Amino acid sequence: MLSYALRRLLGAFPTLLILLTLAFVMMRAAPGGPFDADRELPAQVKANLEAKYHLDEPLYQQYGRYLWDVAHFDFGPSFQYRDITVNDLIASGFPVSLKLGGASLAFALLFGVPLGMVAALRQNRPADYAAMTTAMLGISIPNFVLAPLMILLFAVYNDWLPAGGLGGWQNYVMPVLALGTAMMAYVARLSRASTIEVMRSNYVRTARAKGLSARRVVWVHALPAALTPVVSFLGPAAAGIITGSVVIETIFGIPGLGQFFVQGALNRDYTLVMGVVLFYGMLIVAFNLVVDLLYGWLDPRVSYS
Amino acid sequence: MLSRRILLCLLFLCVGLTACSSDKSEQFPVKNTPEIHDDGSTTLRRGNGAEPESLDPHQARSVPAANVLRDLYAGLVQIAPDGEIVPADAESWEVGEQKLVYTFTLRDNARWSNGEPLTAQDYVYSLRRSVDPVTGSPYAQLHTPIVNANDIIQGDKPPESLGVRALDDKTLEITLKSPTPYFLGTLAHSISYPVYRPAVEAHCAAFPQPGNAVTNGAYKMASWRVNSMIGLERNTEYWDDANTAIDRVEFYPITNGNSALSRYQAGELDWATKVPISQYDAIEKYIPAQLHTQPTLGVYYYGLNLRRPPFKDAPELRHALSMAIDRRVIVDKITRGDEIPAYGWIPPVVEGYDGAKFEWTTLSDADRNAKARELYEKAGYSEDKPLEVEIRYNSGEGNKKIASVIASMWRSVLGADVTLRNEEWKVFLDSVRQGATTEAYRLAWIGDYNDPNTFFELMNSKFGLNGTGYASAEYDRLQEKQAHMPDGPERNKVMKQAEATLLADSPVIPIYFYVSKYLIKDYVKGFEGNPLDAYYSKDLSIEP
Repeated sequence: MLSYALRRLLGAFPTLLILLTLAFVMMRAAPGGPFDADRELPAQVKANLEAKYHLDEPLYQQYGRYLWDVAHFDFGPSFQYRDITVNDLIASGFPVSLKLGGASLAFALLFGVPLGMVAALRQNRPADYAAMTTAMLGISIPNFVLAPLMILLFAVYNDWLPAGGLGGWQNYVMPVLALGTAMMAYVARLSRASTIEVMRSNYVRTARAKGLSARRVVWVHALPAALTPVVSFLGPAAAGIITGSVVIETIFGIPGLGQFFVQGALNRDYTLVMGVVLFYGMLIVAFNLVVDLLYGWLDPRVSYS
Repeated sequence: MLSRRILLCLLFLCVGLTACSSDKSEQFPVKNTPEIHDDGSTTLRRGNGAEPESLDPHQARSVPAANVLRDLYAGLVQIAPDGEIVPADAESWEVGEQKLVYTFTLRDNARWSNGEPLTAQDYVYSLRRSVDPVTGSPYAQLHTPIVNANDIIQGDKPPESLGVRALDDKTLEITLKSPTPYFLGTLAHSISYPVYRPAVEAHCAAFPQPGNAVTNGAYKMASWRVNSMIGLERNTEYWDDANTAIDRVEFYPITNGNSALSRYQAGELDWATKVPISQYDAIEKYIPAQLHTQPTLGVYYYGLNLRRPPFKDAPELRHALSMAIDRRVIVDKITRGDEIPAYGWIPPVVEGYDGAKFEWTTLSDADRNAKARELYEKAGYSEDKPLEVEIRYNSGEGNKKIASVIASMWRSVLGADVTLRNEEWKVFLDSVRQGATTEAYRLAWIGDYNDPNTFFELMNSKFGLNGTGYASAEYDRLQEKQAHMPDGPERNKVMKQAEATLLADSPVIPIYFYVSKYLIKDYVKGFEGNPLDAYYSKDLSIEP
């Protein structure tokens, strides 16, 4: 298993290199540059700025320089936030996104899996309909509608929670609900479908035939297998959710990573965009690996030796 | 179970929204909860638009950055609450007979936040840094009235050659290349703030960070978390600290108007800078006393690309299009915030100048439209041969609405065939700069100081981004002439000529003049609007 993990990690390097190259080319191909504004800079000032950030060099040289810096974990200075480096921006945004995303993920799993299981075990009965209606609502109501509604209800018309900003745990309640609800609903539907399938499989029938208790059949035999699709969904989803959500961050004034993707692209902040894209890429690779390793643990048919 | 809970929530929501319709405050609740600490100290919480791109006074370019910098730094002069230029670090100054040499006397008690005295040498270093191309100041051009500044910006002369010198520790002399009536105004801008040399040299780009920053204004840096909050605390070394009332200022970057309003209503902001237009009626109805509007130095306009058809050599057409726009409809129905319809180039709020206006301003709607059609036909267009024109704008809800309305006016009044095209901001800027594909495009200009020149110079053919390709020798001559005349009726005459020339050539269609809108809680005292939109937290107090 260890050699499998190592092989996978080695295989990640070309993937990340391709990702980085694509991001580099696409950012440079976009019209307009980081120092363009409606108030045009004097030519010499612009030339100096470009020299300072090595934008005056040929592209291949910039690319080489960037790769070299990235190999040393230096993502360079931000073009937009001139007083701050991309490393610092990621270091300040990631913990917040991790907390928010982690909590949303936990919320989605803690409510989604039981909801799906209950629906599956009571298939086509009122509990199933209720659970799936809830899930459908969760998927259909976009978070940019849910979030302002919650703010109105809990912060403006009542005084239960703060409307935004970063303070104590209270500041996380609404963002977590807004971010996690859709995912919870999706997890519920996935686990319902897979539980129904697993419950009909031969080995569950065998377990039942052996006279095991219903609880043991569900918890020990069915659950791990039923979770496999959820786990494969969670890998990339987790990487996505802990790198932030621009919508939720903007609505609640949360300083996570999500806004950097959008602001960075709009500002042609080359280094910031490439920094967060690469960071996101590394997380996806890592989470996918974790997911594959989890498969082996959950499903005895999967083997990495 | 869960669905019942959701139903309950929705029910709650309905109850919360509708049941309490009897009471104003419950229909549009606004919590008045000033942040007053146990020791009696106060915190002002300001909403502040986008995240400032830099808190280096010489690198900053946005309004949110300027708002924070105004609290952190003091210039030689500052803007009083009513908009007047008043002494700050300089307690007095003398202007030489030819209005070329300004001699400033710094206050004895002007100090940096670390207690070090603030000297004339600090200003010499800072002004040189501001024009040094190595610094990369977006506003370096504001200093071009100073001797050699332009050459330094262009890289032709060393920064040491700037016409600024320290006569002694407390006396600063600035020499201009020609008399400049608006010069003092530029000294209140962040590009003219002093920076603390040892901090700049020790920390390079990171010198504005908390812990590194040394400032000379009423406040100093306490904390900065990107996209979350910038915290300032009182600078007890500030020369006028005795008159500072508020102890802490927090700037919250909130770009979304609805979020700003929610946080204002929830009692988390004392001052919201973004007022959502969709809620404007409710705000005017329920909390009119907290809404502050102020005409400012800004013009929203449509540029016409004169380099290529259809606008090249077609003044009649340009006039026809300008006349066919009913600006009243745009300000009354779309922007809806008391914006002022623009019939000239210079905002009426600019001090000491009564601008020129289009000749047709006084015509009735019917006459104006008839005249527009007449000019349209004179330009060679008709129902059978309609003008095909594109309006290009940068993505944004307001721009889109205005473009649609203008397109429909051009269609209905003139019968023109109008297409709309939106582009992302940087792509849009690129298109406007190149001028190869644009026809009509929208842009805006915000003045840097309270003088018509800040608007006049934009249309000079040699000035920065010239998206229209307008190049009139006559206009350039008049613009350059007025920029170096002493204030007074003579200068006004030249300015009016310049504006009339511009309006007659019509390379731009001014649409409306900006009005800024703020929500400020009743317990925040001392707020007074000014056209520069320049407010210092030190001038305010919190008195519940």
